[in-house]
Amino acid sequence: MNYQPEACIVHVVDDDPGLRRSLRFLLDSVGWTVQLHASAEEFLDVVVPPTQPCCLLLDIRMPSMSGLELQQVLRERGITLPILFMTGHADVSMAVQAMKSGAIDFIEKPFNDQKVLDAVAAAIRQSAEAVDETGRRRAAQAMLTQFSPREREVAHQVAQGLPNKQIATNLNISEKTVHIHRQHVMEKAGVSSAAELARLMLRANPAALD
Amino acid sequence: MASKVFGGEVAIGVFAFQGERAAASDWSPVIRYLNKALPEHRFRLDQYDAEGLRRAIAGAQVDLVITNPGYYVTMEAEFGISRIATLDTEDSNPARALGSVVLARANQTDLRVLADLAGKRVAAVAPEAFGGYLVVAREMLGEGVDAESDLKELRFVGLPMKRIVEAVLRGEVDAGIVRACLPEQMAKQGQFRLEDFRVLSGRQDPDLPCALSTRLYPNWPLAVTRQTDSVLAKAVARALLAMPESDGMSWVVPADYQPVHDLFRELRIGPYAYLRENTPEGLIRRFWPWLVGLLAILTAWIIHTVRVEHQVHRRTAELRESLSARDQAEEKMRESQEQMEHLSRLSVLGELSGNLAHELNQPLTTIGTYARTVLRRQESGDLTPEAVTEASTEIAREAERAGGIVQRIRHFARKRLATREPVSLAEIAEEARRLIVGMLARAPEVVIESHLAANCKVLADGAQIQQVFLNLLKNAIDANRDLPVERQNLRIVIEPLDNRVAVHVIDHGVGLNAEQFPRLFEPFFTTKPDGLGLGLPICKTIIEAHGGRLWAEPNQDAPGMCFSFSLPCHELSA
Repeated sequence: MNYQPEACIVHVVDDDPGLRRSLRFLLDSVGWTVQLHASAEEFLDVVVPPTQPCCLLLDIRMPSMSGLELQQVLRERGITLPILFMTGHADVSMAVQAMKSGAIDFIEKPFNDQKVLDAVAAAIRQSAEAVDETGRRRAAQAMLTQFSPREREVAHQVAQGLPNKQIATNLNISEKTVHIHRQHVMEKAGVSSAAELARLMLRANPAALD
Repeated sequence: MASKVFGGEVAIGVFAFQGERAAASDWSPVIRYLNKALPEHRFRLDQYDAEGLRRAIAGAQVDLVITNPGYYVTMEAEFGISRIATLDTEDSNPARALGSVVLARANQTDLRVLADLAGKRVAAVAPEAFGGYLVVAREMLGEGVDAESDLKELRFVGLPMKRIVEAVLRGEVDAGIVRACLPEQMAKQGQFRLEDFRVLSGRQDPDLPCALSTRLYPNWPLAVTRQTDSVLAKAVARALLAMPESDGMSWVVPADYQPVHDLFRELRIGPYAYLRENTPEGLIRRFWPWLVGLLAILTAWIIHTVRVEHQVHRRTAELRESLSARDQAEEKMRESQEQMEHLSRLSVLGELSGNLAHELNQPLTTIGTYARTVLRRQESGDLTPEAVTEASTEIAREAERAGGIVQRIRHFARKRLATREPVSLAEIAEEARRLIVGMLARAPEVVIESHLAANCKVLADGAQIQQVFLNLLKNAIDANRDLPVERQNLRIVIEPLDNRVAVHVIDHGVGLNAEQFPRLFEPFFTTKPDGLGLGLPICKTIIEAHGGRLWAEPNQDAPGMCFSFSLPCHELSA
């Protein structure tokens, strides 16, 4: 895990402008990049699937679309990012519902600044992991696209741990041809063992190797 | 003069109508007898007409007076002459000797009673003639005919009375008044036949066997004046009472002349002429029985008034007392109403207090965040002057905001006196909406639709009306808390209604059941576990105190309730 705070975005969605600005003041002080949004709708207009670590500080109670509704919409759109709900003390039942729907934490107002920073850091960490994972999967998938169709068949069976002889029989080709393909695959994937290849292919998920 | 001359001449004044010289012979037997009976005196007969006799009596030129009953009564009243004997004519009662008869021609069948004479021509002797006029005038008055004003003509023809009879016969008049028994005498002398005449209001009287139209009066009196010597008077009286019938006429003790007085009083003439006068004295004399009655009534009235005045005074004091008691009671009631209103505001406040914490949380959170971040930045050494400025500005702003919220609550909760000023319902509704939405965690959407002109206002206490809005909104929100979000939305519609303004607070909830609905405005009736049950009764009181009406009804074509109130419009210029 390896990321710069400036590269991480903390989105704040709250209808209270004063509170919004105070959160930027706080998060700024530890180096996060902060983006403020006055309403759930405003946030939905700009949100894209994250390509870098980020999180969402979301007010649970807002005049038009509530925080819970926003959470629902994001899930429907397949946009996953860690959500931290901000609640008043009377909103406990809503907070519980938010947690059930996948929020990672909730912060009660008036809040302790350290708790906010800790929660944000944790969320960013989770997000960074998710982003890394996504990056690795993309790389693996990109690697797979370099294989010829025959190479892909050979790689698949290599990753399953089959010996060359068995693969030659399965594919009805010579054992020597299998060996050549195997060398090309290892070179293209940049791996040196069948185990490494298997991990790479699982990450790209070609049918989870059956 | 004459009275001083004792043993000298004694003048006897005799009443005779002007031109009636025959009177001298009529009374000659009396003179003869008195001169014979009282030889020491020389009696002389002086004839006077009415005015002449009056002057003679006034000037003491006569010692004795012989006159008709009518004139006697007049002089008695005026000069105090006093009767000492009454003439007693043959075949009659001296006290009931004179009467009159009214004659008409026999063929005048329309004349039967004296009342029929109204509008007719009537002949009489003279205005002061007793038997020849006054006696009949009294009877006519009794039958409702005033001889002086109700006749077509009243003709005085003087004596002898024969002229009257002749005037009737010739048809110059419709009827004539003559002394009773005169017609019989004239008929006896063959001057006419009694059958030629009819007698009006004819009556029978055993004391006077003649045709008669009137009651009877005493005969002529002989009277003395105040100056007449009492010895002479006594002597004359004695002599007259002793006068034998054989000498032509006789005298008896004086009769009662009260019937004559009655006649004069009824006709309001002679001594009773004052009855016609409208001088205060005359009126007093005429109306004294009435005056006494009036005085009695007046006295009673004054007593009554004083009594009533006293009672009024007492009652007023009592009333004032009870009024002040009522004022006090009203004052107390007003106080308790204010107290109740205050209570209800507090109760609304209490119900909202959970959410007030939330409302205050926002600025407090913001302030805390800024403050701690400043410290944090100071520690890490990257606290720039710009950051300090930003933080301080924001902290101040949020502190003000929190103060504003507290202010609003305090303003809302403060006890206050009722005022009336032009207020805009739309503005009050908006304020109430802001308050309630700001205080509630999950406030539903409240839409305000005003169909009023911007300048339309109502004369009201803005805070009280706001409280009504708050109560209605709070009730609607509480009632629909468990419904899906889209059904929790509320609508406030403000619209003109005739010359009033109507406000409807409409929800889309479950409404009320048949048991709850009629008890809606009942004090202490509540459907909320922690409700006081005073909200709606107080709203009703407030609206009614503003001259308006508060009511509730289910929505026409949708679920939910509509609470409405109307208020008189202050300046509705659409």
